[in-house]
Amino acid sequence: MLKAGSVLGVGSVTANFQSESPLHPAARAFLTDAFDRGWADPAKVPQDSRQAAILRNEAKEIFAKQLGIRADQFEFLADPSIGFHLGISGLLTPSSTLYYSAVDRSEVFAVAGTAAAEKLPVSLNGQTAYPTAGKYDVLGWQAINGETGIRSQDPNGFSGQLFVDATTAGHVAKLPQGWSTALWNSKSWQGPSGLGIFAVADRSAWRNPLPHLDNQISHSEYSLPLAMASALALDAHVSEYRQNESRIRENNSSIREFLSKEIPDVDIAGTLESSVPHLISFSILYIDAQILVSELDRRGFAVDSGSACSSENLEPSHVLAAMGLLTHGNIRLTLHNTISSEAVQSFLITLKELVEKIRD
Amino acid sequence: MELNCLGMNCPLPIINLARAIKIEAEVILLSDDPATLPDLAAWSRMTGNTFSIIGKDKYLVKRL
Repeated sequence: MLKAGSVLGVGSVTANFQSESPLHPAARAFLTDAFDRGWADPAKVPQDSRQAAILRNEAKEIFAKQLGIRADQFEFLADPSIGFHLGISGLLTPSSTLYYSAVDRSEVFAVAGTAAAEKLPVSLNGQTAYPTAGKYDVLGWQAINGETGIRSQDPNGFSGQLFVDATTAGHVAKLPQGWSTALWNSKSWQGPSGLGIFAVADRSAWRNPLPHLDNQISHSEYSLPLAMASALALDAHVSEYRQNESRIRENNSSIREFLSKEIPDVDIAGTLESSVPHLISFSILYIDAQILVSELDRRGFAVDSGSACSSENLEPSHVLAAMGLLTHGNIRLTLHNTISSEAVQSFLITLKELVEKIRD
Repeated sequence: MELNCLGMNCPLPIINLARAIKIEAEVILLSDDPATLPDLAAWSRMTGNTFSIIGKDKYLVKRL
């Protein structure tokens, strides 16, 4: 019989460095309250439609303020991944070329497969040289890479239409000048999953690529309680990130220093200067990531990996391969606001012991 | 020396290659693992050894 707590092994994790983070307490408290009030059907909540409109507007104001957009520029999406299609295909014309980076998300690759498209190579530091483009060409621009935490250089030189993938960046990166469409994922600020934010800068330059009846951005039936909970999580996450950023940066810096000095042959993605402080990816030569990840897990450290041996399809991470980084022995850490420096130090000591044991 | 790593998953081909290249200055590596090509490139950059593709799933690796 399924019991609460039995699925997640509550209490076994000394530190959770996985990107899939727990729901923010602010969002959880709101949702508990919402469910208590009987908000089971998101399409009908709350019963008073005026109250629903007020709540919706409050949520929209929070997103607008924290993401740097106007409330009339965006809509909620129940499925964030459809935003890649809306954001890119909605800008394409018959004469457009879509430019995208070899380290973009697979959703971008999928859209590129349906258009005249050119995949741009990346350098070892994760950067792309943007081409000179015509007015109707489109660039898929990833603000921050979800695997490595590397910030993409500003796309100011690109003169076409700009789709911004901010699904990893969340509130941490500002929209670049000249953006056309943009997509966020609620999960990036510890909001609930199943909610995307999709924005269009200027409706006249964008056409909804889906079958539709009017000029609305989206017809997806999103959950109002999830949108409200996500707004509260975003507000709280912004202030907590500001409070903790310098400590997180110090932790990232000490991880990089430790890996360089204490463990031979570690390939670290990017530099701290080129990355956001809360993400770091490194690959350890001659190490089977699957063994390392499960050994770390047994000692209470939950981490992600982009290595083939730990992926479902046995394919190595296309991001690491495109950058020329080692694809085996890969570990990805997300330094959440709540992770202490002690937990980081404890992780590093455990990591060194395990690497020595596995390499032996 | 020919090192047959066909059917092996990462990181075994690179681990076996590293052992072999200590003994032999040139190794022909056979490997059909999809991670081998990107990992050979990264391994060469990290260790200073060099490699070239000489056939399908076939690489010539030279010690620094």
